[in-house]
Amino acid sequence: MESLTSSPVCNLGILTSLDNDSVQEILQSYDGFCTAANSLLKSSGDLSLEHDFVSHVHTLCKHGLHILSRDYFLRLLEEAFEKNGASRFWRYFEDYSKIEEDLEKIDEDEIQRVLCNALEEICLEKENQEKCLLMLVHALQSYMDNLTDGKPDFDVGKVYLFSKYQLIVSSILMANLPRHFPEVLHFYFKGRLEELSTIMDGELNEENEHRDRDEMDLDEKNKYRTGEMDIDECYSQDKFSENSKLVRNIGKVVRDLRNLGFTSMTEDAYASAIFMLLKAKVHNLAGDDYRSSVLASIKGWIQVVPLQFLNALLAYLGDSISFDQHSSGIKSPLASQPSSCYSGTNTPSEGLIRWKLRLEYFAYETLQDLRIAKLFEIIVDYPESSPAIEDLKQCLEYTGQHSKLVESFISALRFRLLTAGASTNDILHQYVSTIKALRTIDPAGVFLEAVGEPIRDYLRGRKDTIKCIVTMLTDGSSGNPNGSGNSGDSLLEELNRDEENQENVAIDDDFNTDDKQAWIDAQRWEPDPVEADPLKGSRNRRKVDILGMIVGIIGSKDQLVNEYRVMLAEKLLNKSDYDIDSEIRTLELLKIHFGESSMQKCEIMLNDLIDSKRTNTNIKATISKTSQIDPVAAETGISLDNLDATIISSNFWPPIQDEALVIPESVDQLLSDYARRFHQIKTPRKLIWKKNLGTVKLELQFEDKAMQFTVAPVHAAIIMQFQDQTSWTSKNLAAATGIPVDVLNRRISFWISKGVLTESLGTDPSDHVFTLVDGMIEAGKNSGNTGNCEELLAGDEEAERSVASVEDQLRKEMTVYEKFILGMLTNFGSMALDRIHNTLKMFCVADPPYDKSLQQLQSFLSGLVSEEKLELRDGMYFLKK
Amino acid sequence: MATVNGYQGNTPVATSTGSKHPAPTAKTADAQSVLKRLQSELMALMMGGDSGISAFPEEDNIFCWKGTITGSKDTVFEGTEYKLSLSFSNDYPFKPPKVKFETACFHPNVDVFGNICLDILQDKWSSAYDVRTILLSIQSLLGEPNISSPLNTHAAQLWSNQEEYRKMVEKLYKPPNA
Repeated sequence: MESLTSSPVCNLGILTSLDNDSVQEILQSYDGFCTAANSLLKSSGDLSLEHDFVSHVHTLCKHGLHILSRDYFLRLLEEAFEKNGASRFWRYFEDYSKIEEDLEKIDEDEIQRVLCNALEEICLEKENQEKCLLMLVHALQSYMDNLTDGKPDFDVGKVYLFSKYQLIVSSILMANLPRHFPEVLHFYFKGRLEELSTIMDGELNEENEHRDRDEMDLDEKNKYRTGEMDIDECYSQDKFSENSKLVRNIGKVVRDLRNLGFTSMTEDAYASAIFMLLKAKVHNLAGDDYRSSVLASIKGWIQVVPLQFLNALLAYLGDSISFDQHSSGIKSPLASQPSSCYSGTNTPSEGLIRWKLRLEYFAYETLQDLRIAKLFEIIVDYPESSPAIEDLKQCLEYTGQHSKLVESFISALRFRLLTAGASTNDILHQYVSTIKALRTIDPAGVFLEAVGEPIRDYLRGRKDTIKCIVTMLTDGSSGNPNGSGNSGDSLLEELNRDEENQENVAIDDDFNTDDKQAWIDAQRWEPDPVEADPLKGSRNRRKVDILGMIVGIIGSKDQLVNEYRVMLAEKLLNKSDYDIDSEIRTLELLKIHFGESSMQKCEIMLNDLIDSKRTNTNIKATISKTSQIDPVAAETGISLDNLDATIISSNFWPPIQDEALVIPESVDQLLSDYARRFHQIKTPRKLIWKKNLGTVKLELQFEDKAMQFTVAPVHAAIIMQFQDQTSWTSKNLAAATGIPVDVLNRRISFWISKGVLTESLGTDPSDHVFTLVDGMIEAGKNSGNTGNCEELLAGDEEAERSVASVEDQLRKEMTVYEKFILGMLTNFGSMALDRIHNTLKMFCVADPPYDKSLQQLQSFLSGLVSEEKLELRDGMYFLKK
Repeated sequence: MATVNGYQGNTPVATSTGSKHPAPTAKTADAQSVLKRLQSELMALMMGGDSGISAFPEEDNIFCWKGTITGSKDTVFEGTEYKLSLSFSNDYPFKPPKVKFETACFHPNVDVFGNICLDILQDKWSSAYDVRTILLSIQSLLGEPNISSPLNTHAAQLWSNQEEYRKMVEKLYKPPNA
């Protein structure tokens, strides 16, 4: 009420000086004022009433009642607005009160129409009322002018009145605001934006070639700012002239809404509409295809659709500085063009930049969430999915929500990978892919550490892990039985690459690196992520080493080397030629990683093969020298030429399975002849044959055809017995070949499956009769094709391994321990667990020495207790008597 | 044996050998070879699986062993079990180990302190013998005592009467506490 105190005529003294005439005059003019004001509002500011109105106002002012007249007028306006404006305005939207309940029925065009009509009407109403208000202002003004001959506080009065009026308008509207109105606005903007986006997309397609060219260039994409300029310049001319109408319509609606005091609600509505559209766009673009990068096109889209829209909108509303410069003069459609405003000022307005950052962050976050949720699938598809990984990396750099990734990925792993149903091979394959993929995202390996831990823990619980790892590492060719990629190749490849890297590192570490290089390195330095464990050293030292991480599963390289030795032995023993090039290469690679000394035994094994080749050649040479007519060869038709020996230094090989086998006389003679010649060359060394090992290539000749096989010696010995006698009972055959009946029955099934032999029940139910199949007619069908050496040992599944497996070795170790434990308990009566443990540690120096943990010993002892060999009383172990 | 030799540098025993049998430092190399010998004997004994005889080094000293023999079937000692102690010197196997009965044994060639009169443990010792042969010899000594040079004359006199002797053995036999 500043005008009250500042008014010269308004003081309490005046009340006492009022006479009856004045009172009469005041009453009359007040009545007149009221009537005039009412009719003025009804007639929406009819100018003919102005004179009357002004004179009444003057009279009232003269008596110092201008406050009264003003307040009365405002109240009139308020009532009128409530009646004519607000209630009518809201009535338009009554139909949409259930808008949230049935979203399908929404007709966006209708919303648009209704909203536009409503806004138009209420704005008209408001305009009229403002006209009336202006009239009052003028009346008051003219009175003031007469009084003071100047214009002291006209502006104050006008601004005050109008802001008061604005407040009244928005408070009336707000007071009656239906709950669904923000929704209506939201749908309006959504509809408009979609329309805009469709127009833009249509034009995008037309200009696709141009865009593609743009996108080709990666650098261009990163500096999308420049890219955007290009795009804008080439499109905006025609595109915007079409769109400007749409944008101007929207702009008008926004301006009207602001005018009514809905500024923040409007902003919320179009922001949420833009974000929803952006989200839909990201989901649409990203989809389930991980083979292409989508980040660039999302960014491009942000530039083309929402930012264009916002730019135009802000420009239209006059929020942007750049727009002000252009629009002050003419209001041509061109004025709102971003290209012109960019080229004019060369900087987008601050509001626009803020919007751009907001939108991009939102896009990054949406894409990141989308990718993280599907990370498991993405990694399954790695390396095909590497573009998606790249996208994710960029997103994470922006948002920094790495921990979200770790959490979500670990839970996905637990649900989908680390289950009993997944094969160890698949888990390992996924583990390797995970390492590779996450190495891209996080070169320091901090998050990899967290993600890898559950996989490693799980794999440690699987029995065949070591075996699978060794196969993966060394067996490049055999591939993955489940067909999910050739994991073997990739790991060997990895080994090679690491090898090369190591060379590079060696150069890098050289002190000769010049200052320039040092400066470059220093510039590239980045701090470790916050989550990094400071104990694990800095990022420079912590190189992600796939092999290291795999060995980490097993715990020690010794176990891995041991398993490799067993597999190598198996492989070497089944070789019929002496070609070990690939094994040598693998061994060299392994040496690089595990050190010369740990691979020593394997090296000796390979050397054995090289030596064997030489010795073998030498022995062959003695044959041709000594006698052209070999007596043995003459008898059997088999000469030493057909015999190749692998001579091994058994101390360095894994324990070799011994199996009883009587080989046919003629072959046996051949073997001893070979041994004799060996002894001649290599005196004093003697050759001891392991008759059950190796492979035999043989040809079976039937009346009408011949079949070739490559089989184990056992199979050869069995089939050779049928050379002289076409039918054998299993007992007789077992006796002839020197193998136990049950083993014979198992082994002979190979020949039955090949259709060479048939099995029938003999007189004695436990004694089967095996007969050579005549003519091999059906056999030809059964075996499908002849002469397939390849299916040799594959058909011989669960193939009797020639080398004791690691488990067998372990069992053997444990029997040694058992004897020691029984021995010490015999002499000491009773012993506690830790005493047994210590005693074993001290005295059990078998090969390998006792290296079990207390827990392992305890479980072993409880095994002995359950076998009733031991007793456990009060924590002491006794012999069971 | 080769396998055991492969781990010669690896035995924790080496540090504690001197406790009961202080060896001159000059003989460390010898001590090492004794150690190896004893370890391989233990291995052979454990893996050999002879029934009725057993021996094992005491907790921290491979030079002191505890032995166990059971009386052979069809002798008066059938069903009995005797504890022995064997202690080896640094000169082993060139000197025999000292062997004593820890459980009282009523036997012509065993005195009340458990000392044994057996030729291979004295003048007839050869480095070719080992723990296993010692234990087997003592086991057979139980059934075939040398009556001519007894340490326990009572036992020697009673030996001719196997039934009475058996009763005496049963009377005096105290099973080693388990």
